[in-house]
Amino acid sequence: MSSLTKKQKKDLTRIIISLVMFAVLMISEHAGLLPDNRNIAVIAAYLVPYFLVGYDVIRKCFLGIAHGQMFDECFLMTLATVGAFGCGELEEAVAVMLFYQVGEFFQSYAVGKSRGAITELMDIAPEFANRETEDGGIEVIDPDDIEIGDILVIKPGEKIPADGSVIDGEGLINTSALTGESMPRAVKAGDQVISGCINGENLLRIRADKAYDDSTVVQILEMVENAASKKSKTENFITRFAHYYTPAVVFGAVILAFLPPLISGDFTGEFGKWVLRACTFLVISCPCALVISVPLAFFGGIGAASREGVLVKGSNFLEMMAHLDTLVTDKTGTLTEGRFKVNSVTAADGYTKEEVLRFAAAVESGSTHPIATAITTACTDQFPMSEITDEENYAGKGISAVVAGVKTLVGNGGFMAENGIGIPDDQLPGTCCYVARDGRYIGTIVVADMPKSEAGQAVKDILAAGVRKIVMLTGDSESAARAIAEELGITDYRAGLLPQDKVGIVEDLIKGAGNGEDPKKKLGFIGDGINDAPVLSRADVGIAMGSLGSDAAIEAADIVIMDDNLLRIPAVIQIARKTISISGANIAFALLVKFACLVLGALGIANMWVAVFADVGVAVICILNSMRMIVKK
Amino acid sequence: MKKKFKLIDLDCANCAAKMEKAIKKIDGVTDASVSFMTQKMMIEADDAVFDQVLAEAVKCIAKVEPDCQVVLK
Repeated sequence: MSSLTKKQKKDLTRIIISLVMFAVLMISEHAGLLPDNRNIAVIAAYLVPYFLVGYDVIRKCFLGIAHGQMFDECFLMTLATVGAFGCGELEEAVAVMLFYQVGEFFQSYAVGKSRGAITELMDIAPEFANRETEDGGIEVIDPDDIEIGDILVIKPGEKIPADGSVIDGEGLINTSALTGESMPRAVKAGDQVISGCINGENLLRIRADKAYDDSTVVQILEMVENAASKKSKTENFITRFAHYYTPAVVFGAVILAFLPPLISGDFTGEFGKWVLRACTFLVISCPCALVISVPLAFFGGIGAASREGVLVKGSNFLEMMAHLDTLVTDKTGTLTEGRFKVNSVTAADGYTKEEVLRFAAAVESGSTHPIATAITTACTDQFPMSEITDEENYAGKGISAVVAGVKTLVGNGGFMAENGIGIPDDQLPGTCCYVARDGRYIGTIVVADMPKSEAGQAVKDILAAGVRKIVMLTGDSESAARAIAEELGITDYRAGLLPQDKVGIVEDLIKGAGNGEDPKKKLGFIGDGINDAPVLSRADVGIAMGSLGSDAAIEAADIVIMDDNLLRIPAVIQIARKTISISGANIAFALLVKFACLVLGALGIANMWVAVFADVGVAVICILNSMRMIVKK
Repeated sequence: MKKKFKLIDLDCANCAAKMEKAIKKIDGVTDASVSFMTQKMMIEADDAVFDQVLAEAVKCIAKVEPDCQVVLK
C-alpha cells in the first residue's frame, strides 16, 4: 500500500476509525445495551462516525449548492443520508456514507493504479543528458537544455535524450519502447538515432540534431496524452447520458416521496417509508461508475497498442479500428519492401542472359533510378566505365548509351516503339525493361518489388479479424500490381494511378464501405506517409507505417505504426475490438444493475444498503474489468 | 495558443466532464479538454486573452470540485 497518496492515506484512516465506531454502535444496539427509545445521546453517538467519514462530502455539497452545481455526487449522498436520519434510520444513514467513501477510496486507488501502469508503459522520457563540454569533460544537464549541435555522450544502458546522429562508437540500441520491436538495432558512426531508445553495451557519442521538445520521444508522449482528449463516441454518449440520467432519477425520487402519500392523503405513518425509498433512488442516481468505465477502457486500449509499437492518436480512432470494413493499402513500401530486384531475364536468340544483363547494366550505370540500381546490383561483371559513352536519359521512358562501340537502349515498351524496335508481347509479372543493341531487340529484364515477408500472413489475419475488403492502390503497372495482389491473396487492386487519383478512389470506397448502408463501417488507409498524406487524412482512419523519425507521417496519420511490421495492423484491430467489448460490457452491466435497483428500490425490496453496494460495487467491477486491458500480458 | 496544465486531486470522472463543458463556454476559448485519466487540462485560446481565460477556467474548476487544484507553471 506504499503507492497511496497522502490524501488516500488520510481517507483510509478516517474510513477505518469510522467503521470501528459504527461496528461498536451496531453491536451495542443489537445487544440491547442502548436505550430503546433513542435519545439525543444515541443520535449524537451515530453522528460522530457520520461526520468523521463524511465531512468532506457534506462540505462539498454546500460548496456545490453555493456555486450552483446541484446534482453532484456529494449533494445526492448528503440528501440521501439526511433523509435517512430524518426518518430515524440512523444505521442506514451512517452506512451509506461509510460505504460510499469506501467505494470512492477503491475507485481512486484502482484508477491511480491503472494510471500508474500506463505511465510506466510510457516511461520513455529521458531524465537527463550527458553533454560534452568544450574541454572534453561531461556535464549532466536537463534534456530541455539540449541545443542543436550539442555533443551528447550516452553511456551503456542510458536513454538517448534527443534525436541525433552518431559521431563515435557503434553498438546495438534497444528501440522496443518505441517500436515494440524486440530485436536491437545496430548503429554506427553516421547513423541517425532516435530519442527514447536505450543504448546497449557500448558508449555512443552523438550530435543532437533536434532540441528535446522536437524530438521523437516528446512528440510521442504528447500524442498519447492528447489521445485521451479525443473522445470516442461511446464516451460522449455516456457523458451526455449522465447529464440527463441524474436529474431524471432525482426527479423520480421526488415523485416517489410525495406522490403516494398525496394519493393516500397519509403524511404520517407511510410518509417516512416513501421518503426512505426516495433516498435509495438518490444513492443509485450517482453517474460516476458509468462515466469512468468507458474512458478507462479506451485509455487501456491505447496503452496496450503503444506497447505493440502502435500509436493511436485518439480514442475515436481506436473505436473506428474496431469497425473497420474496408482497408485500402498502398503497395510500394507498404506491402512490399520498396526495393526493386531483378526478377527474371530473358534473352533473344544469340545472346545469353548474362550478356543481356551486362549490356543493360552498362547503360544504366550512370542512373540513380531504383530500377537502374536493381539492374546494376544484379550484374556482377560490369563493363569498365571507359567503354560506355554518349549516355542519354529519356525521363519516364529509358536510357541510351554507346557500349563497346554499339548503341544500346534500355527502356519500356513505348521507348522501344519510338525507336522502331519490335519486342515480344508476352505479359510478364513486374516491370519490364527491354534491351536492344544496334536497333535489334536482345532481351527483357523483369524488375519487381518483393512483398514483405510477413505481408501474406498480415493480409490473412486482417481478413480473419473481420475486415470485409482489402483494396490495393498503386502507381505501378497492371502486371506488377497483379503479381503482388495474387501472391498476397488480395482480390481487389487498382493499378497505374497518380497520387491524386488515390484520393478520389478512397472517397468512392468510403461511400461504398458497408455498401453505404451502415455508417458505422469505417475505411482505413495504410501508407508509408511519404507521398500519401492527402489520402491518409481523407480516410476515416489513416495508418502510417515505418514512421519512426518521420515527422510528416506522424503528423498526417491517425494511427502510427512505428516499425515496418504489417502484422501490427491485425493486432491493433484485435485490441480495438477488445476495448469496445469491454466498454460495452461495462455500460450494459452498470445500466442493468442501476435500473434493477431503481425498480426494486421503488417497490421497497432493495433498501439503501443494497443501493450503495450497487453503486460503488458496479463502479469497482467496471474499473477492474477495464483494467484487464492494461494488466494483460 | 495551446497549453496544458496538471490537475491535482481531480477525483471524479463526471466532474471532469462538467469542467470541460464549462471551460469550453468561456469567451475566447477555441478548444478545451479535461482528462480524468491523465489528470490534465488542455486549453486552446487566443493569445491576447489567454491569461484571463485561464483565470476564468481555474474558477470553473473550483466551482465544480473545490478541492481540485490547477498547477500553474
